[in-house]
Amino acid sequence: MDETCQHLTYREEGDGKSFETARAFCAVTESFVQPMRADVCNARYDLDPATDCEFYFDPDAETTDGTDADGDR
Amino acid sequence: MTYDDYLDGKPAVITAALTGGVHGKEAHPDLPETPEEIAAAAAACEEAGASVLHLHARRDNGERAFSTERFQEVADAVREATDDAVLQHSTGGTAAPDALRHEPLRTDPAPEMASLDMGPLNRYERLTSENTRGLVASLHAEMRERGIKPELEVFNDGHLNESLAILDDLDDPPYLNFLFGGGTTSPPHPRNLINRVEALPEGVEFNVIGFGTHQLPMTTQSLLLGGHVRVGLEDNRYYERGELATNEQLVARAARIAEEVGRPVATPEETRELLGLRGR
Repeated sequence: MDETCQHLTYREEGDGKSFETARAFCAVTESFVQPMRADVCNARYDLDPATDCEFYFDPDAETTDGTDADGDR
Repeated sequence: MTYDDYLDGKPAVITAALTGGVHGKEAHPDLPETPEEIAAAAAACEEAGASVLHLHARRDNGERAFSTERFQEVADAVREATDDAVLQHSTGGTAAPDALRHEPLRTDPAPEMASLDMGPLNRYERLTSENTRGLVASLHAEMRERGIKPELEVFNDGHLNESLAILDDLDDPPYLNFLFGGGTTSPPHPRNLINRVEALPEGVEFNVIGFGTHQLPMTTQSLLLGGHVRVGLEDNRYYERGELATNEQLVARAARIAEEVGRPVATPEETRELLGLRGR
């Protein structure tokens, strides 16, 4: 399991907000992530993004209609 | 706990939940996260009437921290900034592994109080905080060993069952915290709180949390029924619809209501006497 959700980045700006210390930013929802949600995104505490994160999608999933991998959710 | 307690003007303990572990500055730009910010909020809340300070620790990026070291930093800063308030460390509300859950209890000195979740609760779509009986027992054992008063977190009626089952194992007076809101917390309705209070054996002290918009009505009802109250940004970000609150605003409002309904606000000394705490 990846230690960090591949859709999570740490940014100082985005979503109309800025922070002195980079905070968890979800590239799926395009928004800063609540600290507890970041725990899930980072797969801490044996949590698995694929089963524990409501925003997770499989980036390797093949699509046949040219939509993003989460287009069928 | 009876209605007579209210009529007798029993002091009301106000707990301030300053920051929590769920949301951060992405949700409220002034929500305290660093030890310094938490300490400043603690001092303001003590001044406004809070005698108990419910503490979480955060990493520099705002995410939750359980380590003894980070809790020590927070506790040291809060003790330095406050006069006499009771410190209560959080051990709950998370899917963190059992070993980490004990770390907030191991500061020097130990906190006078700590939260103890009484069973499972759900977060978001898929996350559950399990809180097995084994974990509850081990946390309680360490609290007893270190002279820490447990606040039993009763998120729903099942947790009340679990709490009543261990009453004999608790030091007097048992202290239960009733939470009302959505998800796996109890539905926020006045009759649900009345049913809870009627189910309590004599001698049990209770506290009430209402999440979000339920904070004001549920805590007000607790004051009428002889209970204690917890307010703060952990549980509710708004003073009224559309207006972000500060921690001290929420404490000051609870203090005003308590006084208005005939419940003097408990000082830290009175809180220690009411709840049987060991002292700072």
